[in-house]
Amino acid sequence: MSCRKAKKAIPLLAGGDLAPRNERKVRAHIDICPSCRQELEEYRFALGRAKASAREEKPGDWSESEWKALMTRITVEKGEKGNTVLGLRARWALASGMAAVIILAITVLFVKDTAFGPQETSSVPGSDVVSVTMVSQESGLQVVWFFNKNFEWKGDKN
Amino acid sequence: MRMNETEKELVAMVLSGRNDAFEPLVTPYRQPLLALAYRLTRDFEDAKEIAQEALLRAFKYLGRYDTSWSFRNWLFQIAANAARDRARTKGREAAALAHAGRELPQSPDPSSDRRSREFQSDLDKCLSVLGPREKEVFILRDIEELDIKETARALACSSVSVRVNLSSARRKIRDAIRDKYPHLEERQ
Repeated sequence: MSCRKAKKAIPLLAGGDLAPRNERKVRAHIDICPSCRQELEEYRFALGRAKASAREEKPGDWSESEWKALMTRITVEKGEKGNTVLGLRARWALASGMAAVIILAITVLFVKDTAFGPQETSSVPGSDVVSVTMVSQESGLQVVWFFNKNFEWKGDKN
Repeated sequence: MRMNETEKELVAMVLSGRNDAFEPLVTPYRQPLLALAYRLTRDFEDAKEIAQEALLRAFKYLGRYDTSWSFRNWLFQIAANAARDRARTKGREAAALAHAGRELPQSPDPSSDRRSREFQSDLDKCLSVLGPREKEVFILRDIEELDIKETARALACSSVSVRVNLSSARRKIRDAIRDKYPHLEERQ
């Protein structure tokens, strides 16, 4: 392995983040290269300093009253949000249901008009009775309506 | 690091409506969460707000938590996201102020700035040379000691991306310590 390749891998080696196979190769190079070994030591030292500095750092904490207030706020907020979410879900369900009913009604009207529309209208001249026959194209079901000459419904026959 | 049984029980309790179980669930991570937020922002007030936001989000989205993953790492992931959101918002605000021709609010007492610079921690100095992504990766991997996979998961990026950013971050920190802050080496 060349120094150039090793130097690329050294930052990860210093933190133990190289894959085992790569690590073996880089270590083999470092064993025979004082310059890369020195560089590895520098990285280890820098990492050690940063970690030690982080450990020394005391970023502060919430006071007990702040913490309690925060926990209360979170749980109350969740309750409200939960209700809001429930309300939204209920409204969404209602709107969806209404939309479904409207679509169903429109579909039924459309299908009724096309499939059960009047197929044949027969009227016999001089007769007092007029019949209207409706035939379903899908099921073949026939409905015959009878009217008198004044178009008053007299009965039906299937 | 996986979630322990007590945590699992507490999560189940919260999800079943026992909101009071949330406090014992998150109390062990109270300090680590705040410390992470502080390391990401270097501002205690910002850190408190980010940690609060992280806890709020954790509570709200607890149902989405995958119990095969460490609860601490999940909290850290949320905090990292909250910190990024806050940085974006602050950036937009700063840009809006700059656009309006106004300067950002300055510290009222310049001597306090000087003092804070004097007492700036070594970690501050190290982190100041890193880009945002490098800083996140470095803090999660090297300071909080998540492994590469956990870091990648927390930052929603690939392991390759974590390695690239980590390598770059370590190089910058090594250079900073060697070139700019020789007093750190003297402490060895």
